[in-house]
Amino acid sequence: MKKKVFIYSLALSAGLFFTVGCNNKLDVQPTQSIDESQALSTSRDVEVTLIGCYDALQDIDVYGGAFQYASELLGNNGELGFGGTFQNLLEMYNKEITKANVTAAATWRDSYVTINRCNNVLSALDKVDEDKRQRIEGEARFIRGSVYFELVKLFAKTWGDGDNASNPGVPIVLTPTRVVTEANEIPRNSVAEVYAQVLEDLTAAKTLLPETNTIYATKYAASAQLSRVYLMQSNFQGARDEANEVITSGQFTLAPNFESLYNTFLNNGGSSPAEYIFAMTVTQQDGVNDMNTFFGTTISDIPGTSGRGDIRILPKHISLYEPGDVRGTFFITPTNNTFTRKFLDTFGNVIVFRLAEMYLTRAEANFRLGTAIGATPLADINVIRTRAKLKPVTTVTLESILKERHLELAFEGHTLYDIKRNKGNVGTLPYNSPKLILPIPQREIDVNPKLVQNEGYN
Amino acid sequence: MKKVLLAVIFCLLSAWLSAYGQSVQITGKVTSDDEDSVLPGATVQLKGSTTGTQTDADGTYSISVPSNGSVLVFSFVGMLAQEITVGSQTVIDVKLASDSRNLSEVVVTGFGSQIKRDLTGNIAQVKGTEIQNMPVASVDAALQGRAAGVYVNSGSGKLGQGINVRIRGNSSISASSQPLYVVDGMPITTSDLSNNGGATNPLSDINSNDIESIEILKDASAGAIYGSRAANGVVLITTKRGKAGKTNVSINYQLGSSKATRRVDFLNAEQYVKFYTMAANNRDRIDGVETTDPDSYTQYMLGPGGFLEYYSLGTYNTPNQKEYLWQDQAFQKGPMQQLDFQLNGGSEKTKFFLSGQYLDQKGTIIGNKLDRLSARMNLDHQAYNWLQIGLSMGLARTNNKRLPGDNAFSNPLQMAALTPLTPFTDPETGLPTGTPPGDVNVPLYFNPMISIQYASYVATSFRNLTNAYAQINFTKDLKFRSELGIDLLNQNEEGYWQSQNIRNVSNASSGLGENYATFVTNYNTNNFISYDKIHNAHSFGATLGMSYQQSQTKYSYIAGTQFPSDSYKKIASAATKSDGSSTETNFRFLSYFARLNYKFSDKYLLSASARIDGSSRFGVNSRYGFFPSVSAGWVLTEESFLKSNNIISFLKFRGSYGSTGNSEIGDFPQLGLYAGDAGYAGAAGQRPSQLSNPDLRWETTKQTDFGIDFGFFNNRINGEIDYYVKKTNGLLLEVNVPNTTGFSTQVANVGKLENKGFEFVLNTQNLVGAFKWNTSINVANNKNKVIDIQGQIIEGGMRNMSRVMEGQPVGVFYTVEYAGVDPANGDALFYKNTPNPDGTVDRSTVTNNGYNSATRVAAGNPNPKFVGGITNTFSYKGFDLNVFFNGVAGNKINFYGVGQYSSANGIYEDNQTADQLNAWTPQNPNTNVPEARFYRGNGNQASTRYIYDGSYLRLRTMTLGYNLPSSLVSRIKMDRIRIYVSALNLATFTNYKGWDPEVNTDDMSERDLKFALGNDFYTAPQPRTLLLGVNIGF
Repeated sequence: MKKKVFIYSLALSAGLFFTVGCNNKLDVQPTQSIDESQALSTSRDVEVTLIGCYDALQDIDVYGGAFQYASELLGNNGELGFGGTFQNLLEMYNKEITKANVTAAATWRDSYVTINRCNNVLSALDKVDEDKRQRIEGEARFIRGSVYFELVKLFAKTWGDGDNASNPGVPIVLTPTRVVTEANEIPRNSVAEVYAQVLEDLTAAKTLLPETNTIYATKYAASAQLSRVYLMQSNFQGARDEANEVITSGQFTLAPNFESLYNTFLNNGGSSPAEYIFAMTVTQQDGVNDMNTFFGTTISDIPGTSGRGDIRILPKHISLYEPGDVRGTFFITPTNNTFTRKFLDTFGNVIVFRLAEMYLTRAEANFRLGTAIGATPLADINVIRTRAKLKPVTTVTLESILKERHLELAFEGHTLYDIKRNKGNVGTLPYNSPKLILPIPQREIDVNPKLVQNEGYN
Repeated sequence: MKKVLLAVIFCLLSAWLSAYGQSVQITGKVTSDDEDSVLPGATVQLKGSTTGTQTDADGTYSISVPSNGSVLVFSFVGMLAQEITVGSQTVIDVKLASDSRNLSEVVVTGFGSQIKRDLTGNIAQVKGTEIQNMPVASVDAALQGRAAGVYVNSGSGKLGQGINVRIRGNSSISASSQPLYVVDGMPITTSDLSNNGGATNPLSDINSNDIESIEILKDASAGAIYGSRAANGVVLITTKRGKAGKTNVSINYQLGSSKATRRVDFLNAEQYVKFYTMAANNRDRIDGVETTDPDSYTQYMLGPGGFLEYYSLGTYNTPNQKEYLWQDQAFQKGPMQQLDFQLNGGSEKTKFFLSGQYLDQKGTIIGNKLDRLSARMNLDHQAYNWLQIGLSMGLARTNNKRLPGDNAFSNPLQMAALTPLTPFTDPETGLPTGTPPGDVNVPLYFNPMISIQYASYVATSFRNLTNAYAQINFTKDLKFRSELGIDLLNQNEEGYWQSQNIRNVSNASSGLGENYATFVTNYNTNNFISYDKIHNAHSFGATLGMSYQQSQTKYSYIAGTQFPSDSYKKIASAATKSDGSSTETNFRFLSYFARLNYKFSDKYLLSASARIDGSSRFGVNSRYGFFPSVSAGWVLTEESFLKSNNIISFLKFRGSYGSTGNSEIGDFPQLGLYAGDAGYAGAAGQRPSQLSNPDLRWETTKQTDFGIDFGFFNNRINGEIDYYVKKTNGLLLEVNVPNTTGFSTQVANVGKLENKGFEFVLNTQNLVGAFKWNTSINVANNKNKVIDIQGQIIEGGMRNMSRVMEGQPVGVFYTVEYAGVDPANGDALFYKNTPNPDGTVDRSTVTNNGYNSATRVAAGNPNPKFVGGITNTFSYKGFDLNVFFNGVAGNKINFYGVGQYSSANGIYEDNQTADQLNAWTPQNPNTNVPEARFYRGNGNQASTRYIYDGSYLRLRTMTLGYNLPSSLVSRIKMDRIRIYVSALNLATFTNYKGWDPEVNTDDMSERDLKFALGNDFYTAPQPRTLLLGVNIGF
């Protein structure tokens, strides 16, 4: 009997143990993530979220490459060749883009991921230590403003093509997302509204940001971006003054050697040269340089080089350089194709702005305005030419300034926008052809009925 | 209480005394009734006890029974059991009648068992003998075609890969649709642990030859006892256990060889040159460029220093030009061998089953190899009359030399796309073309032979599946059983890429080493009481219990670069530890379950079961779910009006209704989260990573099942017909949200879908007697339809061509409709398919530049309408032949993964499938292949052009065996010697143009793989294996 009692009580207590003991075991917390309610409680929390903004900005479909190569492929007129099987890039190259183009979709998505992270930071500024608050706000606004600027350039009619106030731009979202309701189905704001937001963010950033800030955004990064915005708007005075401010700050110097500007990991162990105003830092652990992915290629005798070798440089481009131009020989032909040497480095930083652009912008703006703020256009152009080991010229024209800009900044993401703001052509396509604008991703149209598709994609 | 105790003691004592006092020794011989062959290994059991023995090699047995009134039960697999009262006999010879599908067979249910005759739910049983020695690495692959309504798609011919199993259709969209696997009562880990493209298959750690039976719980009545885990069906695997009597030893060795079932025709060298000359000329014509212009595509292709010259290593148009058919390099002959031993035996008190297996198998794709060493020990011990304890322990070590994912340049099948003029070997180095110090930029893409030679990726898993139990018999009717199981899965993946891989692995310039460790610790306990009572015509059964499971997955990873030389392959020698990570995740289930069975006079059957499930995966607002079911059966042949019918021997109607759930949506989907993985340039960062949903709960599937079980002519013809309707609501959906929120999806319980279908099983004994012929057929039809997902659009897969949309089956292909070729100019055409104001559809066509204006349409279902299998077994004297076909019909396959590059009118430089030779030319205007245009999309856009019928019929296995006559065998003291030849996938009948119609590429995100089925992406075909085996028993 004792045995049975023992058995019964054993069974009973085991049963009870499992019933009672297990109940609270269902509260399991994740180990790699934290609840959003605790995520933004301290100054440190907001600071690391700001780092998250840079992480998003560095995404391959944002400033990690897609912003730049989309401009180069769409703006290409026979200077680039394309091979390989990335249909999304080939569509841009052929200017026959489908609504399902995955680069368009990813660029849209990851840009807004970046914006949402910035909005999280900006919503929690009150938690930030006072001595850091201005800088943090400035950085987040710089990133947000920059991303809106790139989005409106890629997905909307360019500034001045018709009525900016009625041309659809992109939706503006300025608050962090916590829940999703129908209120999140936001229509496109006008091009003018987006530009206004960009200017508001960037001018605020410029006043908030410090002059130096290691690898992060500075006052001059904001100025450099502002100079681009003004240039797109043909506000040459604004562009000139911002560029001039960057040049005269003395924070940046032109690299004596054009070649040493690129391949920062192979040449400099990862640090950007003093000419860079702002760049996306790539390390062995983190970040991908997608310019390297598509423009780069593996060179057997240069360890550390890689790339798919999809975007090739055709003779038409190379023939544009004058003899003796170091930029004209900055190519390599390891196969039957020729590649630029700018992006061979697997872990090279991705340039966003460098000082040479400021000289070229100031020269162009001064020339158009007939002024010589900072320096004459001729002097600025000769600074660039001298560095390229070319003889100085004695006169400049708008055409020669733009050509210098094209050669100096080749493949760095300027081509399409330089064509658009100068109302040029891409082959037979006029600057305002709908084929030079990315479609609003089909997926986004599907989930947000308030979005209007771009012309030519319906 | 004292009284009870006394009574128990008295009973036990008298039983013991009586057994002691009047023991009778019985001997005899067991034979099969139709050919009088002896039956070695038949079970002879004293009814109502655990006392029993087995017949020896010549079919004889000897057993002592307590009294004349004792009843002996004689049974043998595939035979009708017989009960004989001893009476005054001392010699009892028995002839057993064969019965291919015995109604008195015991079927394992969750937390119990039932005889098949009494089942009211739908449970399919696959016997271990049906799948033994099949040369497939995992048990799920072996199930293919064996059970009605169970659709298995092995996906690819890579060894040990994850496999898609669908029981009665896709029940989910964003959650898993894979069934729950339970081994000896313990839900085991089956999730993918791969870090190398393509899923791993933890089921490949189980030796199929250890399996006694597999029960597949298909309807709600059978599944409800597994509650929130059962909506996709439950696969119960029961391993073999020892039998009292002499120790039986079985040794099996088989040796074989595999090769890939099918190839695809690609252009040869001459065709390639001709085709691309045409493609380049056409492009130049369109661009208005002279073909002699150095910037022209023609010159790019054919000119001096051009593509052909470069990629042929300078041999193009020289006497040294040769043909290199790269696809052939991807395949190899795959030898395999397998050695098994099994021992079973024991005393009436202690029984054991011991087994071991060594399997060594080379894949049919170069570089693929798997070997497995496994052992199992199952013990049962009757400690006291009231206490039985036991242990099942399975250990396995699986080594899998894995291949990369389908969408990797190093996938050997992608060699098919390489230029047929590029030599395999670089004449300057004698190494595979593209190996440094030679030019790394040839061939066109990275040469996978380099990674075969200079890289390795080995996954080694160690598995311990242990389950201990104690069963207490309080009375004859009342039992308590407690089970404690541990499933330990440790997996190490080690990859090393030598510097030669630099073109494909950019950070391998001085070697790259990766090492992943995954530990899955899964505990489970089941504790339940069962009560069974027969009182006159009434019989009751009741089960009540609880179970608790907790599973933890820990993962760590390290990578290193900068190795001193390729002789150093461990990360200890890496100067730069380039990457590392560690993570942990947990889930828990706490469940209570109950079941009641009632039977009246063997005619009327009633059953009800229910489970309450709580899980850590669900929101605090709905943590527990309740899953009830009811079912009933009516055995008409027990009624007077049919009882004496000599045509209809068995007829049962049954029906069930109930609800089950699906909780396989990963851990923590309900929480609003930030993740700490957003660092930048070495600084720590965080990001919002997930939107919250505190109301999140399981998907609920309500299923109705009607079935008829029938037998004619003394059950020589028997079978089952079922009709079911499965309605799933509260679908766990990754709902798309506007990207402007900074998120892409949110998990919510949204929407409904439905599966309904018929299942049909027929077993016949066509010939009995010396020459026997049995046939077993199963066919199932399933219709899957998404009823309501609140207008959500869920798409994924190859260029988002797979979709989930209302009114269509899950994963329906959705794309622009291809309209063929404009005979006038060779342009690809697409139907506009836009709705007209009058409600009709605009069937006019557009060409490439109007592609964006064409509306996409539903273009085929990747899920088959019909799946089935047919087995014919023949035996004559010592010979037996088993022929098993399986097939699917009515599904579509998307070839776009391959077609967009390789059947693409020469848009890229990829080698093309031979059908592209039929491209439009002015001389060939009536064709379905558009004009070849180099680097210009002409018909290679996503469209129905690449969606093909995926129906197939396959001679899945065929086995011919010969058992040496027992007279001969017993002379050398053996029970059995059997020699057999066996073939897997001997023949395939299909119209599919790709490698293999049994395809599901691994090249997709985890999200997409759940619904984007039937995609081909240079996916490895199934192997065709021929085997020779010998089996001895003594």
